[in-house]
Amino acid sequence: MSIQDKNTEMNDSGELLSTAPISSPDQYLHENPLYVDNQEKKPDQQKSLKPFQQSIRRFLRDKRAVISLGIIVFLILLTIVGPPIYQHIGIPYTNDAGKQVGPEVYHNPFRHDLDFADKPISARFWLGTDSVGADLLARLMQSLLISISVATAVEIIDILFGVTIGVLAGYYGGWIDQILARITDVMFAFPGLLFAILLTGIFGPASDLFLDKLPIIGQYGNARLIIVSIAFALTSWPMMARYVRGQTLQIKANQFIEAARTVGSSDFKVITRHIVPNLFSIVIVASTLNIAGTIIGEAGISLLGLGVQDPGSSLGLMIAERAQAIETSHPWEVLLPCIVLAIIVLAFSFLGDGLRDAFDPRSKD
Amino acid sequence: MIQFLLKRLIGLIFVIICVTFITFIMGYLAPGDPIHSMMGQHFNAKLYMQLRHLYGLDLPWYQQYFNFLVHILHFDFGYSYKQQQMPVISIIATNLPVTLELGFWALVLQFLIGIPLGILCAIKANTWIDTANMGTALFLYAIPVFVSAVFVRFAIAQIDQLTGAGWPPTGWGDPWQYTWPDIQTKLAPILIFAIGGAAYIARLARTSMLEVLRQDYIRTARAKGLRERIVIYRHALRNALIPLVTTFGSSLGFIVVGAFFIENIFNIHGLGSITMTSVTGRDYPIIQATVLLLTIAIVLGNLLSDILYMIIDPRIKAE
Repeated sequence: MSIQDKNTEMNDSGELLSTAPISSPDQYLHENPLYVDNQEKKPDQQKSLKPFQQSIRRFLRDKRAVISLGIIVFLILLTIVGPPIYQHIGIPYTNDAGKQVGPEVYHNPFRHDLDFADKPISARFWLGTDSVGADLLARLMQSLLISISVATAVEIIDILFGVTIGVLAGYYGGWIDQILARITDVMFAFPGLLFAILLTGIFGPASDLFLDKLPIIGQYGNARLIIVSIAFALTSWPMMARYVRGQTLQIKANQFIEAARTVGSSDFKVITRHIVPNLFSIVIVASTLNIAGTIIGEAGISLLGLGVQDPGSSLGLMIAERAQAIETSHPWEVLLPCIVLAIIVLAFSFLGDGLRDAFDPRSKD
Repeated sequence: MIQFLLKRLIGLIFVIICVTFITFIMGYLAPGDPIHSMMGQHFNAKLYMQLRHLYGLDLPWYQQYFNFLVHILHFDFGYSYKQQQMPVISIIATNLPVTLELGFWALVLQFLIGIPLGILCAIKANTWIDTANMGTALFLYAIPVFVSAVFVRFAIAQIDQLTGAGWPPTGWGDPWQYTWPDIQTKLAPILIFAIGGAAYIARLARTSMLEVLRQDYIRTARAKGLRERIVIYRHALRNALIPLVTTFGSSLGFIVVGAFFIENIFNIHGLGSITMTSVTGRDYPIIQATVLLLTIAIVLGNLLSDILYMIIDPRIKAE
């Protein structure tokens, strides 16, 4: 793709509301040149860099965002390779029945053993155990896996629907645009969480009967997460479509689109070759910020008792199990999932903010 | 202006009809027979048919939906399936004041805390006051409300143990009563509720104030030799506050959703908690009524903030 194409993408992503803190009027002025002419005459040393590379550079300079990215990568790795490793670390012990119990048993997040309820941090249980004797670290890793899987599933549907409908609405306008506008109106009035509560509450118990039988996803009380994911995907794509629509409208007004049409490119080719690639930055930023919301949403739904069910683990479920007893005993068991949830949510929102600043032309230096 | 309002009103009615349809159709499609589960073990075919007729469940869906809409227009939300066939409206009437009070104070406090803080940070931009406050605001805004609620409950419990103050951990006093025990129970939930929104408003207020401070007319005011205090309070502040009016609508959305968690963590019996019990008990008349109420609140909030925006800022012309 030519530099020209990328440039237009950079100049036009102003649709996202910028709430990033600005440290001073001076800095603000510096980052937001008042004279548009300056942007055209770029300094010579920047000419060699493509705008995308410039964005990456800006991103790498943002310490907070890079640290957040590091934390996210670490947590994702932890959820994937953590459990198998953790289930091999530990010395087997002999229980009352005279049986050997190895780490693959007592480091299993779904194991209940009331003999080991509410144990503090020890060599056997790295973060202690909860009120039914399940290992907290194992449960946390399982919870994070749930959070990240739900977020991924939601984002896939969100991007698929949002980009398709947003591009069509922006490119063709007309009735599809009208319908999108009406749907977003309804979505603004109907918070995603409320919709998810209704959907899981009403269809959850009945769907358990057949969703439970699904391999892998259906086990350990995780079946309702399918409904949770659908609910969040259904309520988040209109927002994505709106961003994409706005961006498409701006891209469409550019000369290179006109040029492509003049040489006889079909609508399909214009959309797939020239518009969709230019949507990359806005889609990445919007979906990263949406992930934070989805993770909160999943935890919230499970906290209200509608998401992950008993033997399973979710950050929200872990909080709900002990939140009412925080005054009386073992606050650690509820504070731990709270802290982990706060960390992952903050990491995703900082990453999203950082990406937005990096891809937003107004913060170009 | 009038044309704009009419257009918005039509849009609003459309949205509300959509929301009622979504909630209705969910209840209609939901698996299980509510009358069947209501009668439990005392199943009686004749009574079953009678009850079905009484609740209007023997009609086809479009007639049920039409009746539902007609009844709503008469403020008749039907009868609860579970709670001994109490009228839904009286169940809501007992729970609504609590949520209204919680939401009202949260809304008021988040503007009262957020705006001065944001303005202060803008004036002191780039000093330690600004960095510290904005850093905290960033955290408070991103962290979900139930996490901060758990932290605060923990903190209260610790302070209680140290001082023996006997601070009541959960519950809600009498609505709209402010004796000391009432304040004790209400303070924590209201503050937690307000603080997330306050952080958001503070960030917006700061950005908006900085935007205004770099305008030419502020430079003119300073060049005239006006005192800084007058420049800020008389010239800058008023214009900086205009964009904040638009947050009113989205704040209502935050509050509606947050009510579910705050009421859950603090054992408050408000609109959120009856919605939750009726969702788990599948008491559709109550669900439909509460969802309608919550969405109307959000839609009206958005409309109100748009109207306020137009009144305050004459430059905004309705499209």
